[in-house]
Amino acid sequence: MRRLAPLWLGFGGSLALAATPDATIRNFVACPIVRDTASVPCWLSEYEGELYFLTLQADVSAPVNPPWLGHKVLVEGRIKPGAARICGGVVLEPVKLSIIAEPDASCHTQLPAEERYNLTFEPPRPPGPSGGRLAFNTLPMPVKPVDVKREVKQYSLPYDFDGLINFKHPFQLTPILDLANAMKVSRVEITGYRGAALLSDGTVLPERADRARRRAEQVAELLQGAGLTAPKYAVRWIDAAPAPTGIDDHTQRRVEITLLP
Amino acid sequence: MNHRPLLAGLVALGLPALLLAAEGGYGTAGNPSEGLDPTATAVPAPKRIPRWIFPDTTGGLAAYGTYANELGQVGVLLADGAVKDAKSHPFFQALGTNGRACVTCHQPQDAMSVSLDNIRWIWRVTSGKDPLFAAVDGKNCPHLPQGEPASHSLLLNRGLIRVFLPWPPKGDDGKAIDPEFTLEIVRDPTGCNTHPEYGLGSKRPTVSVYRRPRPSANTKFTTHENFGVLPFIGKNGLPASRDPDTGRATSMNLMADARAPGLRAQAADAASGHMETRGPLTKAQLDAIVAFESQVYIAQASDRRAGSLVESDGPSGFGPQAMLKGEAGVLGNNTTRWVFPMEDKWKSLPRTGDVTQDARSAARESIQRGHDIFMFRTFWIRDSMHLNSVGLGNPTKRTCATCHGMHLTGMDTADGWMDIGTTNLPWAKEEPLNPWNKTKPEMPLFKVTCKDRVPPHPFLGRVIYTQDPGRALITGRCNDVGTIVMQQMRGLAARPPYFSNGSAQTLREVVDFYDRRYNIGYSEQEKQDLTNFLGAL
Repeated sequence: MRRLAPLWLGFGGSLALAATPDATIRNFVACPIVRDTASVPCWLSEYEGELYFLTLQADVSAPVNPPWLGHKVLVEGRIKPGAARICGGVVLEPVKLSIIAEPDASCHTQLPAEERYNLTFEPPRPPGPSGGRLAFNTLPMPVKPVDVKREVKQYSLPYDFDGLINFKHPFQLTPILDLANAMKVSRVEITGYRGAALLSDGTVLPERADRARRRAEQVAELLQGAGLTAPKYAVRWIDAAPAPTGIDDHTQRRVEITLLP
Repeated sequence: MNHRPLLAGLVALGLPALLLAAEGGYGTAGNPSEGLDPTATAVPAPKRIPRWIFPDTTGGLAAYGTYANELGQVGVLLADGAVKDAKSHPFFQALGTNGRACVTCHQPQDAMSVSLDNIRWIWRVTSGKDPLFAAVDGKNCPHLPQGEPASHSLLLNRGLIRVFLPWPPKGDDGKAIDPEFTLEIVRDPTGCNTHPEYGLGSKRPTVSVYRRPRPSANTKFTTHENFGVLPFIGKNGLPASRDPDTGRATSMNLMADARAPGLRAQAADAASGHMETRGPLTKAQLDAIVAFESQVYIAQASDRRAGSLVESDGPSGFGPQAMLKGEAGVLGNNTTRWVFPMEDKWKSLPRTGDVTQDARSAARESIQRGHDIFMFRTFWIRDSMHLNSVGLGNPTKRTCATCHGMHLTGMDTADGWMDIGTTNLPWAKEEPLNPWNKTKPEMPLFKVTCKDRVPPHPFLGRVIYTQDPGRALITGRCNDVGTIVMQQMRGLAARPPYFSNGSAQTLREVVDFYDRRYNIGYSEQEKQDLTNFLGAL
């Protein structure tokens, strides 16, 4: 394995202050709140005296999965222009949620259903059996390539803040594995990155220092563990996180995978 | 072990050990099994005389048979037809050195598992000498005096077999895994985990936990390669186990800790461990065992109050034929396929004035209501690792069918280990300690401390107390502590007690556990209906 020289200056775990550039951006760390409804529960969070709607309970296919009580959540979102409040909260969409790993017993607010907060629309999925399909078609399902072109293929795996592989990655890794096997690739290049989040109060929240390395190494371990042992692997990581802007900082948290014929 | 004198005696008593004919009549009603005092010299009498199959006995097994249990009869269907000569079939042969066969712990009358009542029966009729009670794992620990009830108390009280695993665990490549946690022994009532030869401090450090045998039936469901089976585990993204023969990913739903990727590996493991074979089984033996297990279908076939569960115009999801015909590894947590299809057939049945018939209709309606509770009664599921952590949020407002979603079995279609608290404290069943209770805890207790290099367990923190670390004994992962692969829900009436550690003696106790664990607040009627539904599966 070879380690690349840092491309940017790292934050070294310290907090810096900066300014968020967009008044509709809401990036903050707070306790999530779950509110029951006559149908599915909705997930909210408070920031500077305002209540924000994060997401509804759906299922594994949801583009935004709910956070956990007992843990704070990093919210990286944008106020949806003109959207009516949902469950009493200002709608953040798009929004990225990252559960903070360290438990926090102060995050325990579970609110009962109130008529005034019931949903005014059909949720993607009821709180029980589905109608026969997952709520969203967001999951890239595994593919069995038939006619595979032997060409360079590039992929990018997204990560939660400070996160490693989780329950969503199988749906992204499986097509990569299938294609690599079908192409009989000779080389797999993996580069891990870490990021930082610029919060709306100006705080910079860097990811753990080892994230880029662990992400890259873990992806290599997973592909090899799933049987892709023939190709040569080049595993690299870039420890330095780029300066966050508060806009789409989550895109820095990734692993890039290149399959070479 | 030679069973001829015993068998002769049984036959003389009119208790055939192996029958070809299907059984008529229903089992007797009775109270839940009483707990055993491990220091007692006597073992409680069974509720009925079983049709126990001894290893190496002559006779056969019918292509379809029904066997009485507490709640009715379980049906056992062999899709490939009757076994005409069990004595020549490896599933029924004592292949090892301790006299056991596969059938010892996988009895047709017990839905291809082994029930506590019949464990007690075989103890009584053999004075504890049946191979089931072999020292290796039919006893709390091999060093204990053989044949004394106290030495076998976990088998006699909870139906538990000792499972002994290396610590630290080894990966598929045979290399030791560096665990994410330390493991300390807090309580060792069996003496096995602290024993100098068998324990954690021995030359070959070993952890002993105690688990129920699972049914070796309906295996097309437990080994499916359908929905949710990917090269990467749906719970955490790590590589799934692969079948060494095919190289394909497996569902990892076969064993409580998912350590065996398929039937062949499980049979090989069981032969060396449970049967103490001198060497590996031959290919022919393994082929025969796997082939047999691949065509056995079980499900409750009749209910002592609701009558036949397999009438042609009845609900389609009941009975072993439904298992034979059903599609394996597909989601049933929906209103198109359903987990256990009933088609509302027993939603509202007419009353005729005939007391017997009306009672049957009432029982059937109760089963239907139990089904509806299973599918539609929401409650808040919280702090359950590998459920709340896979995209539903914590807590999530869902129903029983959310986790128990596989069509016809109620298993997880994806790799199905979760922690619902059956082995982890504070939810696991523990003996109340006080000056007035003379009963001592029977289960071991471990302290798990997640190392600083990994995040704490998201719902239990960095220190976890558990009776059985479950899947974590295989992976060494902190988040897997106390996670157990959920098992199929068929033939339940034939094989109490329940949960991997036998902590629920009855189906009602199962329902009560969930009611407590998730603060559901079932009414008494809901509890009865759900219990009746589970008993009909």
